[in-house]
Amino acid sequence: MSEIREFIFVRLTKVLFALGCAGMFVSALQAQQIPDLKVGNDTVQFHAFASQGFAYTNDNNYLTMNTSNGSAAFTEFGFNASMQVTNKLRVGAQMYDRNIGQLGGWHPTFDWGYADYRFNDWFGIRAGKVKTALGLFNDTQDTEALYTWALLPQSVYPIDLRSNNIAHTGGDVYGSLSLHKAGTVGYTAYIGARSFDPYGGYNYFSANLGIPIVSNSGRAAGTDVRWTTPVTGLMVGGSFMDQTQDRKGYYTTLALGAPLGTPYSFVANPQRTSAAYGDYTRGNWHLNAEFRRDHYIGDISTTFGPVFPWNGSDKAWFVSAAYRINKHLELGAYHSHYTVDAPFIATDPNSNHIYDEVATARVDVTSWWDVKIEGHFMNGYGDMFSAHGFYVANNPQGMKPSTDMLVIRTGVNF
Amino acid sequence: MRRLNHLFAAAALSALLGVAANAGEFKVIANSSVDTAAVSLDDLKSVFLETKMELGSGHVVPVLEKSGPAHEAFLKDCLGKSDSALSTYYRSLVFTGKGSMPKALGSDADVVEYVAKTKGAIGYVAASAAAASVKTLEVK
Repeated sequence: MSEIREFIFVRLTKVLFALGCAGMFVSALQAQQIPDLKVGNDTVQFHAFASQGFAYTNDNNYLTMNTSNGSAAFTEFGFNASMQVTNKLRVGAQMYDRNIGQLGGWHPTFDWGYADYRFNDWFGIRAGKVKTALGLFNDTQDTEALYTWALLPQSVYPIDLRSNNIAHTGGDVYGSLSLHKAGTVGYTAYIGARSFDPYGGYNYFSANLGIPIVSNSGRAAGTDVRWTTPVTGLMVGGSFMDQTQDRKGYYTTLALGAPLGTPYSFVANPQRTSAAYGDYTRGNWHLNAEFRRDHYIGDISTTFGPVFPWNGSDKAWFVSAAYRINKHLELGAYHSHYTVDAPFIATDPNSNHIYDEVATARVDVTSWWDVKIEGHFMNGYGDMFSAHGFYVANNPQGMKPSTDMLVIRTGVNF
Repeated sequence: MRRLNHLFAAAALSALLGVAANAGEFKVIANSSVDTAAVSLDDLKSVFLETKMELGSGHVVPVLEKSGPAHEAFLKDCLGKSDSALSTYYRSLVFTGKGSMPKALGSDADVVEYVAKTKGAIGYVAASAAAASVKTLEVK
């Protein structure tokens, strides 16, 4: 009896806590105010975002959701606190959580948290867990409110592999240099330990293909340079990142020729990512383009057989255009292009690419609440080891060459 | 009669242009601690996009108006962004930890009052707004 009472008490406490948080969130949104907190003479800013999506596909299941029957297992949220301690020193941290099909699984993660000391305009340092500057959207990809799209182009920003590049635990140097009439150049250089997500796409397909991952480690180092040109509204940039990876796991299938339980290790050599991108805004138009090259080669070693070379390299790019009709409505479209260098099943013409044509309507109901309706028309399903949306485990009947998808997504933030 | 029509048309046009000019004007104000009398348009843009934190030899903090003619003019003439694009930009800073949401106030009077009492604050108000308690910066 006391166990039942305790159970009810714990559940009730959780429900009341959740309702309290939701009430504060809605109150903040309705007031359109940031609920600042004074700590001595300093102010702590609080911000949060949350989104809920629904996806329906005509055939293949996508992003580990049961989309062929329609799935609403598509939730993300995060909240942060930050404080300007002195003119030059700022500290902050963010928590992030998601449940997208089999990804995330409601396991909260420490998204970023660091101290940022800015000596002057052209030189500052950040230390801690820092979002990685890579391409146009890598560091901002979680906050759907920042984009026209319900889903960012998955060729370049696959949700499955979000954690692979999202942040590093180490340090950045950064700054902004005025070129006077030639514009402004912003730079970031970084090095640190990579972040890996045990609830992400790689771990998911590895477990389902009989090669579960036990541990992952590595470091990332790179740089990003973006030039705000003298042409009004035009920014161009480039990024480069070099990563190491040491993955360990074991075999739970006989299909790959190793006895059950045989340990394996995968060492990347090299794993390098290059990006070139541009962003142009003119009037109500907003154009984006990005090209990405992943050079990802490594060796799989076991105690059973010879070293097995593996090539996970790919190329990806997208171009997008959005037009804001008025304060409440924006329309857009993009083409997303993903190709695999060396698909595992070389004879399958649909496994070496995913092309995606997308059309979107974004409705800004208020300044803090948006609703998006998006149509995807995909061709190909990519390599079974690429973790780009289509998984053997979610499509046991086999995959069709093309997939049409409707996505409805709504989000709030303050 | 024709001359009267011309005069009427000229008066209406000048009145229209006058209203348009007034609606599109803003001035940049700063706390007395900001040790510069003038600022370039590029530097002003960088300050409000949080890529530049210093003017003269001191730290500066941007302050926005939430809406109004001065706000619209400032967005168009200085930042080259729409209100929603600027909001998106600030959110991208906030949710990556790479910047903070600037203070946004509801009226010229509120901005002047806040800038007057906040060390390093820099803002904009309508050109006609009373701003005796702050310094007005020349925009070069």
